[in-house]
Amino acid sequence: MNDTAKIAVAPHRGHPLSGTTMTGSQMIVQVIADEGLTAIFGYSGGAILPTYDAVFLYNAERARQGLAQLPLIVPANEQGAGFMAAGYSRSTGQVGVALVTSGPGATNMVTPVRDCMADSVPLVVICGQVPRSAIGSDAFQEAPVAAIMGSVAKHVFLVTDPTKIEATIRTAFELARSGRPGPVVVDVPKDVQNWTGQFQGQGTLQLGIYRQRMQALADNRLADDQAQLFFDALKQARKPLVYAGGGVIHAGASTQLREFLETFGLPAVTTLMGIGAVNTYDPLALHMLGMHGTAYANYAVDDCDMLIAIGARFDDRVAGNPGKFAPNARFIAHIDIDPAEINKVKTVQWSHVGELPDALRALTAWGRRHHIKPDYSQWHAEVAQLKHTYAMNYDRNSELVQPYYVLEEINRITAGEAIISTGVGQHQMWAAQYCDFREPRQWLTSGSMGTMGFGLPAAIGAQVAHPDRLVIDVDGDASIRMNLGELETVTTYNLPVKVMVLNNIGDGMVRQWQKLFFDGRMASSDKSLHKKDFIKAAQADGFEYAVRLERNADVPRVVAEFLAFPGPAFLEVMIDPDAGVYPMVGPGQGYDGMITGPCIPARKAAAIEKPGASEMF
Amino acid sequence: MRHIIGILLQNESGALIRVAGLFSNRGYNIESLSVAPTPDPTVSRITLVTTGSDATVQQIVSQLNKLVDVVGVQYMTGGAHIERELVLVRLQPRDRDRVLAVVQAAGGRVLTSHGDTLSVEVTGIESSLDAVLQELREHAVLDAVVRSGTLGLPG
Repeated sequence: MNDTAKIAVAPHRGHPLSGTTMTGSQMIVQVIADEGLTAIFGYSGGAILPTYDAVFLYNAERARQGLAQLPLIVPANEQGAGFMAAGYSRSTGQVGVALVTSGPGATNMVTPVRDCMADSVPLVVICGQVPRSAIGSDAFQEAPVAAIMGSVAKHVFLVTDPTKIEATIRTAFELARSGRPGPVVVDVPKDVQNWTGQFQGQGTLQLGIYRQRMQALADNRLADDQAQLFFDALKQARKPLVYAGGGVIHAGASTQLREFLETFGLPAVTTLMGIGAVNTYDPLALHMLGMHGTAYANYAVDDCDMLIAIGARFDDRVAGNPGKFAPNARFIAHIDIDPAEINKVKTVQWSHVGELPDALRALTAWGRRHHIKPDYSQWHAEVAQLKHTYAMNYDRNSELVQPYYVLEEINRITAGEAIISTGVGQHQMWAAQYCDFREPRQWLTSGSMGTMGFGLPAAIGAQVAHPDRLVIDVDGDASIRMNLGELETVTTYNLPVKVMVLNNIGDGMVRQWQKLFFDGRMASSDKSLHKKDFIKAAQADGFEYAVRLERNADVPRVVAEFLAFPGPAFLEVMIDPDAGVYPMVGPGQGYDGMITGPCIPARKAAAIEKPGASEMF
Repeated sequence: MRHIIGILLQNESGALIRVAGLFSNRGYNIESLSVAPTPDPTVSRITLVTTGSDATVQQIVSQLNKLVDVVGVQYMTGGAHIERELVLVRLQPRDRDRVLAVVQAAGGRVLTSHGDTLSVEVTGIESSLDAVLQELREHAVLDAVVRSGTLGLPG
């Protein structure tokens, strides 16, 4: 923790700069600095220039005093800055910050803002705006940011009263991290940035009853009679299963979840966003459920007679067919921070809305006090059998390099300790299936939005936040193209990110769906005529290590040297272009019809049904 | 099913857009919407009529309650509440006496009268205004019909 963070946590002595005359821009930078971040991300432009100047002056002054600075990492495109800030936030739990200009700068930020909203990632985006007098005049680089971002962000402020700039930025951070986290956008006209006033060093905006709502959430303890109802159900259950989502990680409730699971001997599946909430090496961890979940996780969901959803929301990639989801669960319990998620998709028998760490602690304590020590040994044996019988597997004799093999090699070396980001598509699902994670915040992926191009900038943000950790971007040839410009950002800042492209010469996931549901017509998903030479591209962007891996025999050696390279490293793996993602639950299907592929057994023959037109996504 | 939702909203830039956007973004229907100030100058009241199942409206209320600018949500379907809508009509009577009788029977009144043209106002619940307009059409040519949208007073 650097010096600015210490200032932020010592308000009783007052802010050392309170009473100082500052510009609006300097106030913006000071409030950001008070958050104790080690970096922010952004791209300059006309309407945000005063604030960029304020960052420069802030850092010059910090350097003069010999104090830690606030580096501003510059991407190739503002979307990159947004995903870097998101990677920073996802890997640390702090609020990420991006600083961009008006018009195109702000609109390039729409995708990361929506991505953070959909995955509940706290972010503060500060956008320059044309001066107040020019708003609405179709001025140069003007865009209706409040209206555009209002549809995708958790909240948007347009600062029209310069005296509120300081309180607005501080409130933005509060909103981003409170309750269900999300992105907050602050649109700041250039003349508001240039306004001069007195820095207060404290104070936030009035927020109607928002704070009362947050207080009510914090105060909503899980009552004893609620706990009793929960355990009455648990005592009846023979096959209880926990279904843990990203909310566990966002809430910092992983420790409490693990203690809860261990105390009562409960097996757990995690969502894509929940990976790392439990240690994937744990014998009772069944890894990911859902459309591309492990077969054993999905069969466990089919078998369980009680399902306990924690920080998860029954989304369509998990409960593609809500009626067929967990069909044998006579009792479903749901704990979440967001009241709107309770009974949204699946009606539950028991629910609690509140802070997850508190709720899990309360349940564990109640169970211990009442000596609840259920014997699930039979169920544990079934879980172990499921993991054994339906283990992940692939064609280990293929001449072609199998992506699973490469990921197994990476996993063997990293042993669940690496931070791994991904793009979106087959490689994302393979990484989710084949990599282990001991702790939360090591797995960075665009879950709900499914944004191709997420992986590289997210890895950059994570590496900036964790300079000494191994950060790997597992990417695809199509995904990485989306933000390929950020390769240069890796080398510009000499970040030791390991960028691996699993190249199957096209949009692999799209091809998989075309094979299954569109009679094999590969509309626009083949890239075999594309001329891109990824190695030359990486070299041109300054990667000293840029290697193409094409033979199985080279996999162990090359993967090891790639991961061990002391600096930015790029690895392109030419994989079997027909490698598929299995298991796969067709859209709108139940888990019992899961397609497990050629190498994983299935309980019954998969029915490959074309989804209805409305489910075709 | 038809639902009336009262929303108290802070007067912040973009607040109305966020409420309206929530409906369009989530595929909910807005049948009518009215916005007006309250005694508290920082707060406006929206009265909104929507249709959907009970589960849908429950989800709407839950989502509205998450918006930072929303300071209160009143859900007024069933239960004791009063609702009214105002309609202003400019019309040319074919049978003036019948038109005046219809307006009077509905508790409305004539606002202006210029030659062949009358302007009238009628208040009532949405369905009774539908009926009044139907009756007026039988005895007049309606030049313009402007409805306020429903207002609701929670019981």
